Amino acid sequence: MTQNVEGAGQPAAEVIDPDPTAAEDYEVGLKSLNQWQLAWRKFRKHKLALIGLAMIAILLGVAIIGPVLLPFSFTDIPKPDELVSAGRAPAIGRPMGETGGLQRDVFTLVVNGARTSLLIGFSSMAIGVLIGTFVGAIAGFTGGIVDNLLMRFVDVMLSLPTLFVILVASKFLGNGTVATVIVIFGLFSWMGVARLVRSLFLSIREREFVEAAVAVGVRDRRIIFRHILPNAFSPIVVVASLLVAGNIISEAFVSFLGFGVDPTSPTWGNILSGGLQFITQGNWWWPLFPGLAIIVTVLAVNFVGDGLRDAFDPRSRG
Amino acid sequence: MTKFVIRRVLQAIPVLFGITIVVYGILLAAPGGPTAKFANNPRITDDMREKFKQAWGLDQPIPIQYCRWMGFCNPETQGTFLGSLPVPAAFIGPKGLPNFLPEALSGSTNGVLHGDFGYSINSGEKVSDRIVRAALPTFILAGVALVVWLSIAIVLGVYAAIHRYSLFDNAATVFSYVGFAMPTFWLGIMLIFIFAGTLHWLPASGMTDTRSSPPFGSDKYWAYFGGSPLAAIGDIGRHLILPVVTLVVVNIAGDSRFVRASMLESLGQDYVRTAKAKGLPARVVNFKHALRNALLPVITNIGLEIPFLFTGAIVTETIFSWPGIGKLTIDATREFDYPILMGVLLVTSVLVVFANLLADIAYGVADPRIKY
Amino acid sequence: MTETSTVRPGVGAPPPDDILVDVRNLRTYFKVMDGTVPAVDNISFSLGRGQTLGIVGESGSGKSVTALTIMRLLDIPPAEIGKESEIWFDGKEVLSMPEREMRHLRGNEMAMIFQEPLTSLNPVFTVGDQIAEQVKLHMKVREKEARDRAVEMLRLVGIPSPERRAKQYPHELSGGMRQRVMIGMALSCEPKLLIADEPTTALDVTVQAQILELLKAIQERTGAALLLITHDLGVVAEMVDHVIVMYAGQVVEQGTVEEVLVEPRMPYTMGLIESIPTVEKRGGRLSAIQGVVPSPFHLPPACRFEPRCPYRWETCRQVPPELYPAGSSGRVARCHLHLAEASARREAAIAQHQQNLTVGRRLTGAPDRIGNA
Repeated sequence: MTQNVEGAGQPAAEVIDPDPTAAEDYEVGLKSLNQWQLAWRKFRKHKLALIGLAMIAILLGVAIIGPVLLPFSFTDIPKPDELVSAGRAPAIGRPMGETGGLQRDVFTLVVNGARTSLLIGFSSMAIGVLIGTFVGAIAGFTGGIVDNLLMRFVDVMLSLPTLFVILVASKFLGNGTVATVIVIFGLFSWMGVARLVRSLFLSIREREFVEAAVAVGVRDRRIIFRHILPNAFSPIVVVASLLVAGNIISEAFVSFLGFGVDPTSPTWGNILSGGLQFITQGNWWWPLFPGLAIIVTVLAVNFVGDGLRDAFDPRSRG
Repeated sequence: MTKFVIRRVLQAIPVLFGITIVVYGILLAAPGGPTAKFANNPRITDDMREKFKQAWGLDQPIPIQYCRWMGFCNPETQGTFLGSLPVPAAFIGPKGLPNFLPEALSGSTNGVLHGDFGYSINSGEKVSDRIVRAALPTFILAGVALVVWLSIAIVLGVYAAIHRYSLFDNAATVFSYVGFAMPTFWLGIMLIFIFAGTLHWLPASGMTDTRSSPPFGSDKYWAYFGGSPLAAIGDIGRHLILPVVTLVVVNIAGDSRFVRASMLESLGQDYVRTAKAKGLPARVVNFKHALRNALLPVITNIGLEIPFLFTGAIVTETIFSWPGIGKLTIDATREFDYPILMGVLLVTSVLVVFANLLADIAYGVADPRIKY
Repeated sequence: MTETSTVRPGVGAPPPDDILVDVRNLRTYFKVMDGTVPAVDNISFSLGRGQTLGIVGESGSGKSVTALTIMRLLDIPPAEIGKESEIWFDGKEVLSMPEREMRHLRGNEMAMIFQEPLTSLNPVFTVGDQIAEQVKLHMKVREKEARDRAVEMLRLVGIPSPERRAKQYPHELSGGMRQRVMIGMALSCEPKLLIADEPTTALDVTVQAQILELLKAIQERTGAALLLITHDLGVVAEMVDHVIVMYAGQVVEQGTVEEVLVEPRMPYTMGLIESIPTVEKRGGRLSAIQGVVPSPFHLPPACRFEPRCPYRWETCRQVPPELYPAGSSGRVARCHLHLAEASARREAAIAQHQQNLTVGRRLTGAPDRIGNA
């Protein structure tokens, strides 16, 4: 019984032909696929999701290699051949134009910002998902008073407008390093995951294969990690993709307000923030391009999230 | 029904308590301690400082501080119990009744429960006064945004669902993907650049035209408002357009998808087929039978999204210099004005809890299957 | 897939007045991403006023789609209806009717009862409202009269204290009660045709019999024609005069209920009847039709039942069978066994069938006992 409970979460389509000789030509035999193969088959059919995946790959490439090819240093003051206080508009050789004031190359800034912004988006998501899964799993599996206390705490955290709290926390704890910002964002973005994981645990715990495992005396920890978590995995992945997008936008905003990463290291929010003061002098390209970079990233992540949701949805067919 | 409401309100109480504890934690977490900011501020009079210290009991153990800040303990009653807890007598107000009761009964005015959030460190103004002053602009902005957001999102979503895969539906899909990915503050900046900076059609900041009207909220302003209300409302209206657009785009993008999905789900249900089989015209089938069911999950979703109105307000108010709660928060954060911060956090969180409560009750009213 | 059906009547002219529903060459298919699915493939039948007709078949045989096509409740697209198809109802052609006129028929002249009484009622309106809505629409009466009519209908379908029940929501009623509401709603405007699509499948066995009895009693009382769609031969035996057996979108056998159940002339029908479990068969092996219903994307080229047919021979793989006359007038079967040259095979098949069961006689002898045997 314990052998076949593992994969019982998502039964793969399978047609058993009782009389192969009678039906050779007419039946469509569906191959038996496991959950992941099935999901990947559906994901592949999702055009936008594939585009999103490609976009994320390119963005990661830019974030890794870009700063090597176009290094940036805050203390390097560029020496432009023509002094224009509002900066020069995009042209050949400077695809995203120049900043106002010091006339830095916006393209270089955006490329270097990609590294920090993506790092913050993905790392803080990882922290949030870890904490959220841990809390949600404990609440959902234990139930009773522990569950009640944890969920009331989640209610409290969700009632506080998150961005307010992040601003205050950044002001109090923040020293402007990327690591601090990641931790702060991680610490305040786990509540949704916790609620989701708890509800998944509550429903999966009632499923027959878990009851079977309990009946044959499998230990709690093994039930959580081997039986329940794998079945809760797909919704968590979908929520995680939303979290990456949300954190990238929030980080940009917090940095934009001057409470995030310190302005000497470029993030998309920092770059945008600088652009605001020159916009009245007609410099629209400085804030435009980091903003577009954010949009493209969030779009890509959301595309992938949508694809994952459809791929894992047992109601949709591949 | 009444029982259901009472039960939900009772459930909200522990959450409200949790919020006060977390918010009080901010005071304790402030670098240098709560009094660090007071040291050399010329605008704080000795009288005020004493009042603050006493009201908040800053020389007392933390449980007593919290108890006084909340308004459960009477700051006049001194003494500790078991080293750090308030003595039982401290819970009794000047009139001999529990201290937390309203002033008319207990005779006490201290603490959050009596609307006393302390004084702003920077201006010395009462926090409650300051918040009330900032609340009106925010409610105007958020209220208008809520109406615009919901009506457009529902119309868009329903229309897209009824005409699924049409040109309109596809356009709405593209809009929602891009709108959802757009950082609010960036959209605000770009709108200012286009409509205020370049085209000069709309004002870039503020709530009223400073050349023709006194500052919003002052006594002079209300006199001016009374003199020519239409002009004054038109003035605010013009200033509202860009902030409202900035605030609603993301929400419309997200919610129109949600409404569309919910409506599609509803349109695929058996009861819609039954309604058609009864001979009802498409209009009645769509807007009575399907929409009524499709809006049920939307109600819950609205409750969950109310916090975003406040979060969005921080963003929008900062960019457009809108003199509301959001701007107050940012300024207070910049200047470490934590009595204001705590007050704002507390008030907004409580509003969020009540918004969720209202959404739950509305859901209970709208869905007959919910048992009370 | 093109073929001429032997029961095809003259095209274009209305049927005689005593015929209420006349379906001619009905072809309904669904355009989906991977191609076209023929759900109903060229079927024809007619139903006289006040008469009863059963359509029997497994799920996916096209019986429900046939009903939905008559009511014109399918979304077009993805559904499409063949150009040569005609559906005559009460002297008017339905498929070419403007939607306005069609709406006037629906719920008024033709009404339908669905399989799932819970999901088929709108959860957010009271059952009284839902019946009154239809009455108000078609009978052009005021709110008050519509409500009275709703209560009256609830009483007619045997719901106790109908005034109170009318104010309740569907979830407050039991499954059988909900199906009574559906029947009351369908009959509220005194339709000429009542279509019941698996009306008892979702109900408890004990409730099934009550609902069937109610349907039959009310049908007899109001004189409405009944088109009953079911997979349950027992239900058919109890409820209808004529029966059509459908397989993979086609009519495969047609006749009176006694003829079809006692002397099935198509191997598929024979298999269906043989697979009914009975007391006599206890301890023996339960017979089931081998194989599965073919996928609509990969239909067998000739006879669609051939891969599962125990009596098949070469012809069955090469020539698509037509509906051949089989016995008395109006009796047809889609099987090559009815070709003159296959008479020996036919006799053998019938003998085999007789041997396989003792059930047929029981069906006609005591129909009410078979329902849920």
